[in-house]
Amino acid sequence: MRDLAHRLLTYEDAAGKTSEPVEASTLRVYEKLRHGLGEFVGIAGFQLLASRALTLARPDIPSLSAVRITEDGSLQGLGAIENQFDIEKDQANEGGIILIARLLGLLRLFLGEALTLSLLRNTWPGEALDDRNSGNGRTA
Amino acid sequence: MNTQEKVTINKLTTGVPGLDEIVGGGLPEYSFNIIAGAPGSGKTTLAHQFVFANATPERPALYFTVLGESAIKMLRYQQQYTFFDSAKLPGSIRFINLSQVVLEKDLGAVLDEITKEVEKANPAVVVVDSFRTMVRKPQSEMDLQSFIQRLALFLASWQATTFLIGEYAEDELRDNPIFTVADGLFWLRQTTERNSIVRKLQVMKLRGQDSVPGLHTFRITDAGVQAFSRTFGLTARKRNPPSGRRLSFGVPELDKMLDGGVPEGDSVLVAGSSGTGKSVLATQFIAEGIRHGEPGIVAVFEERPEAYAERATNLGLDLETPQKNGKLTILYLRPLDLSVDETMQSILDAVQKIGAKRLVIDSLAGFEMALSPGFRADFRESIYRMIFALTGIGVTILSTVEVDESFTEFPFSTYSISFLCDDIIRLRYVSLEGQLRKIMVVIKMRGGNHAKDIREYEITSQGVVILGKRLTNYQSLISGIPVYAYRTEPKEEPSQNPENGNKS
Repeated sequence: MRDLAHRLLTYEDAAGKTSEPVEASTLRVYEKLRHGLGEFVGIAGFQLLASRALTLARPDIPSLSAVRITEDGSLQGLGAIENQFDIEKDQANEGGIILIARLLGLLRLFLGEALTLSLLRNTWPGEALDDRNSGNGRTA
Repeated sequence: MNTQEKVTINKLTTGVPGLDEIVGGGLPEYSFNIIAGAPGSGKTTLAHQFVFANATPERPALYFTVLGESAIKMLRYQQQYTFFDSAKLPGSIRFINLSQVVLEKDLGAVLDEITKEVEKANPAVVVVDSFRTMVRKPQSEMDLQSFIQRLALFLASWQATTFLIGEYAEDELRDNPIFTVADGLFWLRQTTERNSIVRKLQVMKLRGQDSVPGLHTFRITDAGVQAFSRTFGLTARKRNPPSGRRLSFGVPELDKMLDGGVPEGDSVLVAGSSGTGKSVLATQFIAEGIRHGEPGIVAVFEERPEAYAERATNLGLDLETPQKNGKLTILYLRPLDLSVDETMQSILDAVQKIGAKRLVIDSLAGFEMALSPGFRADFRESIYRMIFALTGIGVTILSTVEVDESFTEFPFSTYSISFLCDDIIRLRYVSLEGQLRKIMVVIKMRGGNHAKDIREYEITSQGVVILGKRLTNYQSLISGIPVYAYRTEPKEEPSQNPENGNKS
């Protein structure tokens, strides 16, 4: 799931502008997931999934403690991480990757890989989900 | 208006094996249907099967989930069924959660949301699951009725076939205004009888076409819901006129007693106590059919197919080769928890698969015992339906039944099913000359003459062999304790001439 999350962030990063803040690609991926998944699990359902993903991601990235999920499932506070620690872009991205990976991991856990990928394909084109190298990646 | 001007209502497959037959060929396109039943009765699974069978990228299905089971959990469980094709999500099947709207707003907002999504997606199928949780919120009856009417009208106008799923108790179905709006009303129920779960499905209402009335057994397996029509899917078939052909038993003397053999398409009952050779006779009957190029099915309940075939080998009958050639199927049915309809469906499937002309059910007692207790009450009725359906398409059925030996009575069957049978052959033990010997008599032949002789027979390495002529020197043979009454041989032996026998 980490590889998949990384691919999605890379895809959104490439689609964005270079002047955008580091967290922009994470937020875009997250918002697309929120929109796509929220349709069938409902706002409350997505909010709970995202909260669980955040809880699971925090031990790996303690700085995510500054992040919270609002009632409507939005992500708040991701930008603060970059400002707070003034870290390199790649490191700032790590928090986003882990958070998205945890969210995708929950989906895979509940729905299975095939159905999870089917749902993602509705939001991202095939190249963004290309899993040719996923078998070599680390598991988040 | 002549028939050419009538509108043609397309029938959509339900995706549920057996249900198309029950609803008269498929579900009417653009119909507004309600699936009602208690929790766990299979409502959602049934709806999913319909959705997966009919949704396409061009005409997708919209599946609105409301309160109750969360969509994630629903998909988690539903994808375990073999009909579930995850590639269809979300392109052909979209799940849309309405719980927020239902919780925070009124039915009008729910209708607006559904309308918006339907107009956007142009779906062929719309499901609202669970519709009941939506209307449990305090609403006036008028609100609800108005909502349903507007929803039904809107979805029909948008050419969508619709299912509303709801948990209803049986007494709620009466006089409920919601159900007057529906074109189709499907009621699923499950009850526990002794240790078995009995699931039944009823099409309580279906506008526009004939459905098979009554309660139909259904089962939920890893393939989803499977329904078993009370008529076994054979009512629509044209009944074959009697061919007039006689089928040999493979026992020449018995064929003579039957005026040339069993009339094709008859139901024959071979009744006798344990060890009288019922199964041997049945085996000879099926083997003789195969010898004449007539595929056969043997449904056994008391021994395994290998043992059955081996016993036939001991009689000089080869049942192995025809099994390999697809001319014979030996079904071993010990389902224990299956319904009678489901068991019979297995037999029917086998009959249809190899085009069987002869069917042996060995035995009815074993058949009944193999059923779960809850279904035994339906046994006689189901046997009747199956015999009627199969003989109607020309299959000749031989059933064996064990009867308790009595020395005061001469029962044909403990099941009171002799009325289901066209022909009855009774085997029994008799005490003769210090030996326990066997006699055979044809009790009944609905289709014509038969010999009235009581014949002695033996079970040899060649199977059932009828000995000599009729037993003329004894009286009260059928009592099992005959009285010797010596008399000279009749000048003419009428025993082999059914013209002189009974006409049933």
